[in-house]
Amino acid sequence: MIKIINIELYKIFKKWRTYIGFIAIAVLIPVIQIAMLVEGEKSINFMTRNLQQSFVFVGNLLNAYLVSYIILNALAVHIPFLVALVTGDLLAGEATAGTYRLLITRPVSRMKLVTSKFFAGIIYTTLLVLWLSILSLGLGTLIFGAGELIVVKPTTVIIFARNDVLWRFLLAYGFAVLSMSVVASLAFLFSSLVENAIGPIITTMAVIIVFLIVSAIEINIFQAIRPYLFTSYMLSWRLFFDDPVDVSEILKSVAVLFGHIVLFYGLAACIFKRKDILT
Amino acid sequence: MKILLILLAISLGVSNPQKKDPDHILDEVKRTFNKVQDYVVDVNIKVDVDFIKAPETKATIYFKQPDKVHFESESFAMLPKEGLDFSPMGFLKEKYTAIYEKADTVDGYKTDVIKVIPLVDETNVVLTTLWIDESRYIIRKVQSTLKMGGTFAIELKYDNSMKYPLPSSMIFTFNIERMNLPKGMTGELNENKSKDEKKKTTGKVYVTYSNYKVNKGIPDSVFEEKK
Repeated sequence: MIKIINIELYKIFKKWRTYIGFIAIAVLIPVIQIAMLVEGEKSINFMTRNLQQSFVFVGNLLNAYLVSYIILNALAVHIPFLVALVTGDLLAGEATAGTYRLLITRPVSRMKLVTSKFFAGIIYTTLLVLWLSILSLGLGTLIFGAGELIVVKPTTVIIFARNDVLWRFLLAYGFAVLSMSVVASLAFLFSSLVENAIGPIITTMAVIIVFLIVSAIEINIFQAIRPYLFTSYMLSWRLFFDDPVDVSEILKSVAVLFGHIVLFYGLAACIFKRKDILT
Repeated sequence: MKILLILLAISLGVSNPQKKDPDHILDEVKRTFNKVQDYVVDVNIKVDVDFIKAPETKATIYFKQPDKVHFESESFAMLPKEGLDFSPMGFLKEKYTAIYEKADTVDGYKTDVIKVIPLVDETNVVLTTLWIDESRYIIRKVQSTLKMGGTFAIELKYDNSMKYPLPSSMIFTFNIERMNLPKGMTGELNENKSKDEKKKTTGKVYVTYSNYKVNKGIPDSVFEEKK
């Protein structure tokens, strides 16, 4: 199994499109960091303007943690595209290249094959989030230095002590891997249905964008269906930046996301097992 | 006419029996505080506002007469804008009219209550009430009403063994508007707001002063804005 996963990973990293995600993150994050270096102080002043009527702020709030937190917020819209770009191609790419028959006639069960491809996709997703975290926190620390993290929510402000932040980020990035794995699984499912990689990528993004918009609009009917949309749980990494951390809500989100991964993978495996490769 | 004047004098005498001179009291407060030319003090700050969660922080305050103040902190600290650099000059630096109101007791100490009305338009303060310890001429409590709305109060506690008129702790009470940021500004798309929350709330900041170094001399460069 590990050997097949290695082969699938080799195939993934042999393709140019795999590096688009890493390059995009390598460009995007320094751009955001430079923008924050120039304008970040103004943003902080705007967000904390009513606090500054009563308080004098001493110290550095514009630091690697704040910038990384802002970048992580972009995860919902931007990173899924980079994930789907590769995972949407895992099965459909074989169909496009006409290598399905060659692959499936090898002495490896279809189940092993589809599972290996799935795990290779999850490893790619994990590496992408890991790359994001290294650039956000690592490069951010070099540019801004570390410090206290201010989390401004619509009705509350939380300031975390410097030594109380890193573990939250580690768990939040771990949660982000889980969230993005749902996206990878969805793209993988769509990939098993079609023979062209563009379809799964666009469909995955369409589903995520529609779900996010439905979640964001404050109309009663949309609010009622929000708990049933997996996108509602994808941003639950923010719960790690609450005080106290709502563990039960996090576990619920983990269970929902993990359930979706199993469901999407299961469906993809079923479809792939029954796939007619003779016609 | 003479009878009228006598009656007026008698009525004034009845309504204002031997009031203390507020300007004299305030001058004594200034004179007492002027024994302090400069000081450095470590402060521990605890913010208690229902919509703010912040850890206790430590900072160092540098003060030099007449009104030079510099804050330093290794970590991020939220310091109350008023009263932290405790100096009565902060309340009495502009032209003002002082009115003696009454005698009162604060924490068991006899105090004179004096209202200070600024005579300049530029200041943000409409009225300040000071509770001044009548035996030591130190300020034990302050209440200020601001032009922009709202009031703040400062309660000061002193260590009786302290040679100088500097507080050992302070409680700063103030009104503050609740956070009300638009969705998306913070990235929190799904957070539900409570609709029945009041717009304004009262907050408190507890400041504890320790390790005073008084009249040791502080160079002016400490107070220069670092760019």
